[in-house]
Amino acid sequence: MLIAGCAQDAPQDTWDPAGPNAQDIHNLQWPVFAIAGVVGVIVLTFIAIIIVKFRDRGQAIPEQTHGKPALEIGLTILPALILIGVAIPTVGTLMALNETDDTECIINVTGQQWWWEVDYAQQDGCGGIAEPIVTSGQMIIPVNTPVLVRGTSRDVIHSWWIPRLNGKKDMVPGRVHTVRLEADEPGIYAGQCTEFCGLSHANMRMEVVALTEEDFETWKAQQLAPYEAPIGDDTLAATGESTFIAQCSRCHQVNGLEDADGQPVIARPDLQVYSGAAPNLSYFMTRNTFAGATWDLLTDECRANVWESDPETFGEKYLAGVSEDCLNSVDLREWLRNAPAKKPMYADPTQLEDTNGLVRGMPNLALSEDQIDELVAYLLERK
Amino acid sequence: MFTTGSKLLIGSSVIAAISAIAYGVAQDGVMGTVGLASAAVALAFLAGINIYTNDSNIWDDEIASVETAPAAARPPANSIWPMAFALGAAVLTVGLVTYQAVFVVGVVLLLASGAEWTAEAWAERASADAAFNAEVRSRIANPLEFPLAAAIGIGIIVYSFSRIMLWLSKTNTVIAFAVLGVIILTVAFLAAYRPGLKSRAAVGAIAVGVLALVAGGAAAGLDGEREIKEHETTEGLTEEGEEICLSPEEFEADEKASQSVGAQANVAAEITLTEAGELDFDVVGPVESPDQLTLPRSNPNNVIFINESDHERRLSVDLTVPPAEAVEDEGPLLKCTTLVEPGGRQNITLTIGAPSFAAPDGYFFFVPGVESARLELVVP
Repeated sequence: MLIAGCAQDAPQDTWDPAGPNAQDIHNLQWPVFAIAGVVGVIVLTFIAIIIVKFRDRGQAIPEQTHGKPALEIGLTILPALILIGVAIPTVGTLMALNETDDTECIINVTGQQWWWEVDYAQQDGCGGIAEPIVTSGQMIIPVNTPVLVRGTSRDVIHSWWIPRLNGKKDMVPGRVHTVRLEADEPGIYAGQCTEFCGLSHANMRMEVVALTEEDFETWKAQQLAPYEAPIGDDTLAATGESTFIAQCSRCHQVNGLEDADGQPVIARPDLQVYSGAAPNLSYFMTRNTFAGATWDLLTDECRANVWESDPETFGEKYLAGVSEDCLNSVDLREWLRNAPAKKPMYADPTQLEDTNGLVRGMPNLALSEDQIDELVAYLLERK
Repeated sequence: MFTTGSKLLIGSSVIAAISAIAYGVAQDGVMGTVGLASAAVALAFLAGINIYTNDSNIWDDEIASVETAPAAARPPANSIWPMAFALGAAVLTVGLVTYQAVFVVGVVLLLASGAEWTAEAWAERASADAAFNAEVRSRIANPLEFPLAAAIGIGIIVYSFSRIMLWLSKTNTVIAFAVLGVIILTVAFLAAYRPGLKSRAAVGAIAVGVLALVAGGAAAGLDGEREIKEHETTEGLTEEGEEICLSPEEFEADEKASQSVGAQANVAAEITLTEAGELDFDVVGPVESPDQLTLPRSNPNNVIFINESDHERRLSVDLTVPPAEAVEDEGPLLKCTTLVEPGGRQNITLTIGAPSFAAPDGYFFFVPGVESARLELVVP
């Protein structure tokens, strides 16, 4: 614990709040921790004294008495008073954190094995959203804006936790739970699922990206931009579009994508995947991560350039998305080559008896290296 | 010189030899002759050994041997376990060729009686004192026997209880077991405030009660469960050629449907048919847009329908989308609640696989018979 406490690069540090909700928790945990610490020291000190003073030295057994009412009453009342003293600010903080009326932006988040889908319904909040926006892995929020996250799950219980912005909240199938989020400064705030949810629980991460109001408007515009087909007929990206339709579009939606007959391509992951969902890839390269935010789409150097930038320039760097030079093609190609080998997901067709033939995650599509090249070229244009 | 055992073996050997000769002469069969001759030789061999060992008998003048001989030990008491073990073996064998349940009963009987037999036989060798041996046996076996017996007893009582519950009608179940509860409480109260009550009487009363419960459970189990109506789903349900979800009329499905309200404490949305004939809705937290309700895709979304109008109404939703590739076109996909009385509420769970933009006209809630009641549903 001591060594872990000395970590410098700790993006999930609960003792380093970055918003008012996390600050409320922080303000509560310090005095509670201090009280618990003092009580702990007193108890341990008494135990040590008793062990030393009354150790067996062959002395006669002391007089045996039954009960000391004054002492017993005192030792009952004192802890009760301490607990009441702790409970009052705790309940107050919990009630404040559960408040939803003052939120100005509503974002829905849905967990499934093993990634988070994030969607923004049409609303006047969030500066106004004209059409629903769907993304995954990264939740984009406007800075200094109280955001209400409405969360649920499609399969098993997951838990949403962005330590620097608020406490954790279980996301339960059939229920809708709420979490307040607010970030003081632009930046990326990391989190991960904190309820064991299956084989790849450890690979189920998420990030909240806080942008200035202006940058948030830019991001929204990016997410609602009309589909742009690859230019030319014989480019790698154009071939990739056909490959995408043939191999990926049964599960992954790309808004505006049309088939050769001009018909919209509608993904139906509910017919393929156990959870009934797969990430929307319409603006894939506007994100920094993929596969449940487990791997970066950016190379280490480019990632550091975004993560370590100052708040003034962060938005611009983040909104630049993933360029060809910055693409972490190694992990992306490995993923396309054999996803279950990279992230365990029960995708082995021989182990599907309990899911009625539906895969639990992206299966191995046995893509050729040429197809992988085409898909990477096509996906690079999805921003 | 010859003991009883020796005489028996010698006689058997002679008979086998004579039989071999007789068989060989009278019957033209080599195998029978060889078999009987072999038996004669084997019996003669055993007779020789028996004579040599004096049939394991001891001479009367060997006092020490008399006192320590196994024959001098107290014979084991009568035991039911060998018979139970044999019965278990028989049941197991029958089960092998009949039913799996019979086989399992045989295995259980075999294991249980084998364990008891083993413990008993082991304890009988502890000393020459039968009472002490019985205590040794209890010390070893009781920690296993008591919890197991208690578990089996409780299991039988619970199972009998459940059979009776499922046999009685819903109303009678409540009445019967409320009365039973009162009786138990009364008896317990009397027992607590009547210390003079003999324990034998209390045990007798409890035994009669348990027997009655088990007997009732067995009878109810044999008679079968009451008719339990399955919850009607109105998805794609038609009666007399009419789609229920499009009609404000009452159908048989409405009559038979469960009247219970699945009003979970936490639902995705509450949709209210107002007195003005419009659909209003509320969600957890602030409402994003008053014009359209957004629900996540592929989720079991619990939606409560509240009918504030003056008529019985149902909430319907049209989720029709063009068929996906390689999926059979099943026509319109309509889901609805059953008719809800004025002021009533009902839950409907919607799991929607396709996004709303897949439907040419989008998804929408509506109330049959109320033209103005329409609410857009967005599934991103």
